[in-house]
Amino acid sequence: MSDQDRISASVAVMEGQAVCAACGQDLGLATEPWKEHAQRREIPLAQAGGPAFDTGHEGVVLRHFYCPSCAALLDTETAMAEDPTLNDILASRG
Amino acid sequence: MDPMTFSIIRHRLFRIVDEAVITLKHVSGSAITNEGHDLMVSLYRADGTLLMGGVGFLHHLTSAAEACKSIIRRFEGDIHEGDIFLLNDPYTAALHTSDIYLVSPIHHEGRLVAWSACFVHVYDIGAVNPGGFAPQAPDIYTEGFSSPGIRLVSGGEMRQDVLDTILNMVRSPEMVTLDLRSMIACNNVARDRMQSLMTKYGAEEVDTACAELVRQSEDLFRARLSELPDGQWQSRQYLDVNGVTARVNLTMTKREDRLIFDFSGSDPQSPYSINCTKWASLGGLFAPLFPLLCYDITWNEGVLRPVEMIAPEGSIVNCTRPAPVSVATVGAIQSVNNAACSTIGKMLGASEKYRDQSTAVWHANHFAIFKFGRNQKGSESIGILTETFAGAGGARSFADGVEIGGEIPNPISRMANVETVEAAFPVRYLFRRRAPDSGGPGEFRGGTGGELALVPHKAPDGGIHYVISGKGARHPMSEGLAGGYPGAPNSYVWIKAPEDGANAPVTAAGGLDAIPGTQERVSWGVYPLMGRDALYVRWNGGGGHGDPIVRDPDAVCRDVAAGLVTAQSAGDIYGVVLNDGAVDETETQAKRKGIRSARLAQEAAE
Repeated sequence: MSDQDRISASVAVMEGQAVCAACGQDLGLATEPWKEHAQRREIPLAQAGGPAFDTGHEGVVLRHFYCPSCAALLDTETAMAEDPTLNDILASRG
Repeated sequence: MDPMTFSIIRHRLFRIVDEAVITLKHVSGSAITNEGHDLMVSLYRADGTLLMGGVGFLHHLTSAAEACKSIIRRFEGDIHEGDIFLLNDPYTAALHTSDIYLVSPIHHEGRLVAWSACFVHVYDIGAVNPGGFAPQAPDIYTEGFSSPGIRLVSGGEMRQDVLDTILNMVRSPEMVTLDLRSMIACNNVARDRMQSLMTKYGAEEVDTACAELVRQSEDLFRARLSELPDGQWQSRQYLDVNGVTARVNLTMTKREDRLIFDFSGSDPQSPYSINCTKWASLGGLFAPLFPLLCYDITWNEGVLRPVEMIAPEGSIVNCTRPAPVSVATVGAIQSVNNAACSTIGKMLGASEKYRDQSTAVWHANHFAIFKFGRNQKGSESIGILTETFAGAGGARSFADGVEIGGEIPNPISRMANVETVEAAFPVRYLFRRRAPDSGGPGEFRGGTGGELALVPHKAPDGGIHYVISGKGARHPMSEGLAGGYPGAPNSYVWIKAPEDGANAPVTAAGGLDAIPGTQERVSWGVYPLMGRDALYVRWNGGGGHGDPIVRDPDAVCRDVAAGLVTAQSAGDIYGVVLNDGAVDETETQAKRKGIRSARLAQEAAE
């Protein structure tokens, strides 16, 4: 892992820490789930993206993960409410 | 081997596959092959390992290798020049029964030197439902004719008894004959050209080049993997059938020059035919891997070697006989493909060098609707709505996805002209167009999917019926990246005509809600399209990339003007305020500031 690597386009890496790519907010170690340090919000799918997302079925949510400092939307997940968060982590080399 | 000869042989192998594909299409007469390009042709080495993956549905490249190996095991010592073998058993190697493999040994001077393999989705396979996708099948036994390997052509002569037996088990045997003959012609061309290549350069020289080609692919792929960050990425797909939801869970781990796809935690196999076998899962994960990670590397056995798959037995991604699998290609296989596309996209996004090649999930859900019934010419017809192949591009890290832009696992997929469908079936399109708000919102928007509506037209029996294997109406499946939203889910609606006898409209520029009648959602089974009723279908757009509220407001304005995004979504999701068709910059800044404040205020509230 290097500072040239990122966890995603929205989550950068700085000295081994995951940080918001927009404002540099610390999101914990890059080798651990960064979403635990983000603001999480669950929106019913029907309210997520306009009429095309209103399927007439309940129980499906769109999870949003925001930077707690600048409110940038860092990631989304389609999920059933009871399902765990998806985690992306980098491994330290050597 | 000198590099010039190696390069010439490598290009000749490419051209052989290309020419075989052209042959296949020229002989075939079915829309799913010629219009949808639901086909594949590839070359394999003498031991059945993949040598040169061709175009078409990439899910098949590895499964057809297993088909070759299975034929080698079954017919050991009894494989002769001019033979062609048929295999379509999913528990041996095929993806589902209706995707028939014809594999052909290639001999040179009496020695087995290579194989060619191809598939098409045959017109019918004799399953409980017409067309091959069988949502009403409870097990593999009701999914039609299935062979773990049979000799169809012996020494260049068709085995008529075998052909007649197969044709006796299918609907529309004349069309299935044409499917089989198109594949025989394809394999014959591949064999002839391979033999010519060996005559010119010598079998040993060609084999040396083939071995080098495999080694080169492995070296190049391992080198690429070494350039990418080590890490672990997760994705999840939901498949809903009749209110029952199944999950495909994936953790992809990259360590140095190896890649592991672990599907542990995926749900048990389903009573519905969305399951897939382990060979099919392997094909599903390689379908996005080949184009996304190996776009400049020859697709062969060398690419397979650094990859490991873990798929728990008895799960939806490694089902056990006799679980039904006829919908696998648009069910669990496609979900494996989507999940792998998502994790690979994330991994590419983590690399400075490869970040601009990162993509959100493309068109993630085929709707697989097969029409059947008597057409306006009095003939029985079966045919897929090829719009399922039209697809939608996922957003990239620097640009929007392509509207109705195809799909990752089949680089040459496409849809038929409206007129082609109307000429073959007693239906009329009310509309077919890009679907507003279907592309996943993001800084870079997912490409839109489409929507269409059909009504019966000049049908001698008052209409037709259709088989629908339409999962994905509850869950978006084209996942976004880096804050991008997923593409909108599919929608399937049966519009029942009003009782007052009003005619269906000739056009419906207003979309679904402009079609008179009551709306009923459908998704799985066999339904009528009769009288003055209509069928509406919307297919999913690609996933978005990045936070929607940093999208260029002018791009949102253009999207609204083009009917790709609604004004409501422009405001609610993108935070763009439009006045008289132009961006109100002051109001937009205020709107976006308000959205950010609301996000942070919610944090404070919690």
